[in-house]
Amino acid sequence: MSVLSEGAVRPVPAPRRRSRFMAWMRADTRAAASLVFLILLVGASLLANWVAPYSPLEQSMDILAPPSAAHLLGTDDLGRDVFSRLVHGAPASLYASVLAVLIGTSIGLPFGVLAGYLGGWVDTAVSRVIDTILSCPSIVLAIAVTGALGIGLTNSMIAVGIVFSPGLARLIRVQTMIVKGELYVDAARTFGMSTPRLVLRHILPNAIQPIIVQVTLLLATALLAEASLSFLGLGVQPPHPSWGQMLARAYAYMEIAPAQMYAPGLAIMFTALAFNGLGESLRSQLDPTRRRSD
Amino acid sequence: MSRRTLKVVGWRLLQVVPVIVLATFAVFGLLQLVPGDPAAVIAGETATAERIAQIREMLGLDLPLWQQYAQWLGGAVQGDLSTSLITGLPVLDEVLRRLPNTLLIVFYALLLAVGISLPLGILAATHVDGRVDRFVTSIASLGITVPNFWVGMILVGLFALQFGWFPTTGAVSITEDPGRALWHATLPAIALASSGIAEITRQLRSALIEVLSSQYVRTLHAKGLSQSLILWKHGLKNVSLTLLTVIGLVFNRTLGATVAIEAVFAIPGTGSLVVASATNKDFPVVQGVVFILVMIVILCNLLIDILYSILDPRMNKQ
Amino acid sequence: MNARATTPIVSIDDVGVHFPVSRGRTLKAVDGVSLDVMPRETFGIIGESGSGKTTLGRAVVCLEKPSAGRILHAGIDPYGLSSRELRRHRRGYQVIFQDPNAALDPRMTILKSIREPMDVAGELTVPERHNRAIEMMERVGLSPDFASRYPHELSGGQKQRVCIARVLTLRPELIVCDEAVSALDVSIQADILNLFAELQAEFGLTYIFITHNLGVVAHVSDRIAVMYLGRIVEIGRAEDVVGTPGHPYTEALLSAEPVALPAHLRGQNRVMLQGELPSPIAPPSGCRFRTRCRFVQPICAQTEPPWRETTPGHASACHFAGELPMMSGAELHPLKAGQPGRTVETGL
Repeated sequence: MSVLSEGAVRPVPAPRRRSRFMAWMRADTRAAASLVFLILLVGASLLANWVAPYSPLEQSMDILAPPSAAHLLGTDDLGRDVFSRLVHGAPASLYASVLAVLIGTSIGLPFGVLAGYLGGWVDTAVSRVIDTILSCPSIVLAIAVTGALGIGLTNSMIAVGIVFSPGLARLIRVQTMIVKGELYVDAARTFGMSTPRLVLRHILPNAIQPIIVQVTLLLATALLAEASLSFLGLGVQPPHPSWGQMLARAYAYMEIAPAQMYAPGLAIMFTALAFNGLGESLRSQLDPTRRRSD
Repeated sequence: MSRRTLKVVGWRLLQVVPVIVLATFAVFGLLQLVPGDPAAVIAGETATAERIAQIREMLGLDLPLWQQYAQWLGGAVQGDLSTSLITGLPVLDEVLRRLPNTLLIVFYALLLAVGISLPLGILAATHVDGRVDRFVTSIASLGITVPNFWVGMILVGLFALQFGWFPTTGAVSITEDPGRALWHATLPAIALASSGIAEITRQLRSALIEVLSSQYVRTLHAKGLSQSLILWKHGLKNVSLTLLTVIGLVFNRTLGATVAIEAVFAIPGTGSLVVASATNKDFPVVQGVVFILVMIVILCNLLIDILYSILDPRMNKQ
Repeated sequence: MNARATTPIVSIDDVGVHFPVSRGRTLKAVDGVSLDVMPRETFGIIGESGSGKTTLGRAVVCLEKPSAGRILHAGIDPYGLSSRELRRHRRGYQVIFQDPNAALDPRMTILKSIREPMDVAGELTVPERHNRAIEMMERVGLSPDFASRYPHELSGGQKQRVCIARVLTLRPELIVCDEAVSALDVSIQADILNLFAELQAEFGLTYIFITHNLGVVAHVSDRIAVMYLGRIVEIGRAEDVVGTPGHPYTEALLSAEPVALPAHLRGQNRVMLQGELPSPIAPPSGCRFRTRCRFVQPICAQTEPPWRETTPGHASACHFAGELPMMSGAELHPLKAGQPGRTVETGL
């Protein structure tokens, strides 16, 4: 048998990445809808000044008005246009979600990788700390940290990020431990690859998938946390609009104008639903038991 | 309890010790997160130098860090969690006074969540991919993405303001008037249960599906056992451990989510206490609440671990 | 056979590799192993799974640090080097793993994988690395069209060729082949073994060939060591070990080897191994093989057998080596033992 006989076979062309993405979107309408919704939301946030018919801070004598042609979703207790406030609240909510997840990841990732890669006492110590932080109800801890750092949107989201980090670290730790034992990692070590390069080139790229899923799901959690904290007056400070804070105002006037609470609540719900839909779909898309087909 | 179980319990108790020690570090460390001079921040912008010095002395902020910690820990061990900077009352008394209100709605919500999600999960798992299943799973994914406190607001709007079936706000002590206490706690508990229902239903559904599709259960089918008998005798027995784990998780989350619910229903619980004291920079109270809640969660996890080891014979081998 | 008096390229001296297991016990995967591998020879290590042969191979390429003893690479102790020097030094000592699929990063193209060792070394310019990678692909029989493919698009044999091309880019002196063909289809095994033989002649390579398959190891190796429960029980020239086994375990291994012969030509003399491999955490006292040995005597439980040399360069760790009425390789394998050769028939 000739040595070349096997290798000389020409490889068949593989499906392109782009067509794979399109196939995914076609197969999962919920994911597609979530993505479209989020893209629209990001677009509205960036173009808030043009999308919103009024300034979010502009007051009028027309208070707690029901929806009309002039005010699509009515006005609030200070006569401000609810739709405009909703649009201007979007960037705050998105910023908050992304910031919290970013902080959670940037704390959780190094600790998780360190614990998973080094093992031994480092792992034991990091794992104990993770257990401890996870045994505190997260919102309570976030409130306490916000209180210490000082009230405000950025601080409260740093607090939420800190609260997220142990969960992420735990996930990354397990992933790192799995990938660390892979043969291609051993192979790279025999080539003389240094540990930092090994982590960046092989471990992180192969450990990251479940973390991407988790991060997408955490965006929803962060959004809800921001809403809670702003509702409690620890997040976005008036007069700047945020969905949670709009709910807090709506709550104060609930007996007179109960309809005020629907728009911001639904905005929160749909956005969280979109993050979750995307995350769940990513999870099943990246599920190794389903990956044989590509 | 068998000797084996006792051994497991002892081992778990030992493992809890470092977590508690770390928790005290974390709670104590909260004050270290305050940027700048904590005493000045706590006293506020208009405070006099005297007041700042007074606060510094009261909190022992002029001592070295480890002495501050030792002092705080020494107090905590003896049940002294310092005093509130605003009311001057002992923190522990205040926390313990409010704790029953919080625990009432938390446990009420937990009970509701388990009671509702058990049939939902079974229904979904026995009709996989059918219309019932799809309905239940959509409700469940909705439950996770809906803010609890918003559900609470809608409930107040409908059942308290419009129909007048339930009181809008406030709480009644369970020891004074259990009936009225439960009546007051019903709407908050329902609102609080919404995410728990979703979480437990989802986990129960997937765990049940896994058990029901296992080789072992298929053999039982082949042997001619009825669907409902298999479900009750084998399915639920096998998922009880999953259920226990999820309940532990949901308890922790519910204890957190109650903060916003307490705000909606104006319940004087630990949640509203921590919000008020965080806003007013009353740090001894914040630390006290966090400390007590962490201890409760650790205790709860310990209980679940012990139950786990009793229910699961495999765990006993270790 | 290389009997030249040069420095061994690998000198393993009383090496142990121990792993902690639960309750403070240790698993001695490799326990007191000594052997020398000479430049340009093919040294076979054979044993069942659990014998510690893979761990020994990993220790040779510094993937496991010996807990006892030391391994010298051409007289150099790699663990005596600074970590920077070690990373440079170990490029000369490469390994081909059993599972070529797991040895390639699924997220890297074939070209990237093959270039990786050179990228780490950083000694060549980027176009030079690219050219050498393509050159090596062609040398191992892979069309350069595969360069932009991902591992999951290749067959097992093709992936193993990628792994071989990858280590060749480093121009190593020694390659440990850890069950390098056993995961492949039988027809492809022969191709890869022939490739190994060609490359040895071309690049002057030294191989340590680790396998559980006596047929493979006997045909490609100059010398063989037989491992059992972390120890070497027999060592010698391939034809001696296969032809006149000195240790009862080797006899049993030879006997377990399937024979591609019609029933009437097959020897009726089969020695079956009794019982299971004992736990390496608590190996038997004295001779470790005694629990499964058909010649077991009281002394075997009391003292560890010393090395007994039956013919020059052929030694066995058995109290009765050379004295036992064992069957020869010829009796067990009427055809095979008679014609040891370096090329492998496709019918393997």
